[in-house]
Amino acid sequence: MSGNIGVHNVVKDFGAAKVLKDISLDIEEGSFTILLGPSGCGKSTLLRIIAGLETPDAGFVTVDGEDITDYEPKDRHIAMVFQNYALYPHMTAFRNVEYGLKIRKIEKSERRRMVNEVLEQVELADQAHKLPAQMSGGQRQRVALARAIVKRPKAFLMDEPLSNLDAKLRTQMRFELIDMYKKLNTTFLYVTHDQVEAMSMGTYIVIMNQGVIMQQGTPREIYEDPRNLFVAQFIGSPPANIIEHENGYIGIRPENITLSDTPDGEFCLPARVHSAEQLGGETIYHLNTSAGKINVKISGCWEQENSEPYAVFNLDKTFLFDSKGNRIPDNDRVLRAVLRGLDGGERLAAFSFQSAG
Amino acid sequence: MKNLSYKTASAGKHLVLILTCLIFVFPVYWMVISSFEGLGEIFSANMLPKDFTFDNYIYAFNNMPIGRMMLTSLIIAAALSVLQLTTGILAAYALSRFNFRGKGIITILFSLTWLIPVQSIMIPNYVTIIQMGLKENLLAVILPYAASAFAILNLMQSFNAFPKALIEASKMDGDGELKTLSRIVLPNLKAPLSSLGILLFINAWNEYMWPRLVMTKLESAPIQIGLRSFVGSDVNMWGSLMAATTISCLPIFVIYILLQKQVVDSFVKWGIK
Repeated sequence: MSGNIGVHNVVKDFGAAKVLKDISLDIEEGSFTILLGPSGCGKSTLLRIIAGLETPDAGFVTVDGEDITDYEPKDRHIAMVFQNYALYPHMTAFRNVEYGLKIRKIEKSERRRMVNEVLEQVELADQAHKLPAQMSGGQRQRVALARAIVKRPKAFLMDEPLSNLDAKLRTQMRFELIDMYKKLNTTFLYVTHDQVEAMSMGTYIVIMNQGVIMQQGTPREIYEDPRNLFVAQFIGSPPANIIEHENGYIGIRPENITLSDTPDGEFCLPARVHSAEQLGGETIYHLNTSAGKINVKISGCWEQENSEPYAVFNLDKTFLFDSKGNRIPDNDRVLRAVLRGLDGGERLAAFSFQSAG
Repeated sequence: MKNLSYKTASAGKHLVLILTCLIFVFPVYWMVISSFEGLGEIFSANMLPKDFTFDNYIYAFNNMPIGRMMLTSLIIAAALSVLQLTTGILAAYALSRFNFRGKGIITILFSLTWLIPVQSIMIPNYVTIIQMGLKENLLAVILPYAASAFAILNLMQSFNAFPKALIEASKMDGDGELKTLSRIVLPNLKAPLSSLGILLFINAWNEYMWPRLVMTKLESAPIQIGLRSFVGSDVNMWGSLMAATTISCLPIFVIYILLQKQVVDSFVKWGIK
């Protein structure tokens, strides 16, 4: 069972703070949609409005075309996994999972069968009798998942469910969630501020900032084709380099720049290595150039020894933004003019002179 | 040197604590030994009774319906603590969980009623009880104190500190508000609830002024009123008074022995009343 969720012109204010400013969104049936954004951007509020834990000031929410804005949370056929698990401390894992079914007055033997089946699915069959306090973070997380799964909802809402886990467990749970998504074949709506989670798990990403949607699309679209400066700077590790010029900005991803001892390639900037982060498989160089500080990510480690290399990149890997930060269709002529200015113009000469001094 | 001064300070502290304990325990000790002393001995400074006697107890039991009065006290204290807890839980949960117009004012009003001395509302309460025809009825003792601002305000603190996510999870599971309260919130607040319950029970047990006004007949009065009857204008039966008082302390003593941890917790938390 899987459902399509529609958010239509939703507005939410908390006092003077405008948390959601006219949000409209279509969450496709069976997608793993990620709501991604910095803290305070409104993503959790949007999730809670869909869950029915908050009421929108304007607008409405639909599931499979049916307006559910005034429905109680339990009548929405939606399950939620909370950030801090929200397991009932006085109930065993089994009872936690069973509780929702009990309220729905499902017969005892059927209940038992369903709970055992789901606990087996999350590999916790042997932990059923334990209280949440006696379980590890990962196990608690799985009980929380089981509690959602057992309801067989049309959609799963997850509010930063991995943020309380340590790095290693988080990676493991990411794989498990992807696995679970494939098995359940249900709509997942997942809130996070972690772009790694978003990129690795989502089939569709919605990036929010200050109560508005900045961009939505597949992870590939978001990464390769950012529609504005915010998205270009939010996605990527490190984020895209932004070079300011008279009429706007140019973005170049650190991994699309290479270092060379000689001035070759389509465009190159003479640079000076400020520092280097050796990450094992890859290295991030922080360079000073005529265009300002830029980051370059190169696979391999401990290889670059030249302290004054050239940063080389190609035109087709750059993004052009206007002065308001909105993407403008990549115009070869404009790009060339701007980049040439940085490459061989007077500003570069001035920078080289200063840095040499 | 340092070690020595530390030891001296520690010994000093313990000395103060021991002395304070003695000061608090002494009246209780004196009550118990006096209850076993005869008329001639009761004003002596003997630390142990020379002629150990049960006469005071026999006299007290013969002249006063102690068993019945204890039962009355027990009913009153149990009813009051249960009622105050119930009304307190409902009011505090509503005030803590929902946002509604006038919530702040209601909370302030509750706090203010806590500050009003009981004596100042005794007469209007008394008139109301008489008009309701409840004089000499147990309800007269119980009804006016069925809700306690102290309980409401303390429970509000517990509810405010309760994780919101658990309440929301229960809502997602399909619980209504009352079921969320009874199945999710209250089972996780056993410790503060039981310590508050004990405190309310002890307070109700020790109630004297109000029951004295509305329960004038000795047979139907709680034990605290009965104790007073040993002290009269012409003769004071100190020995029997001590015997009856010792008996009246027993239920509280039993509660203390059984629920020592919670009793200490509740007094540490809310101060000794």
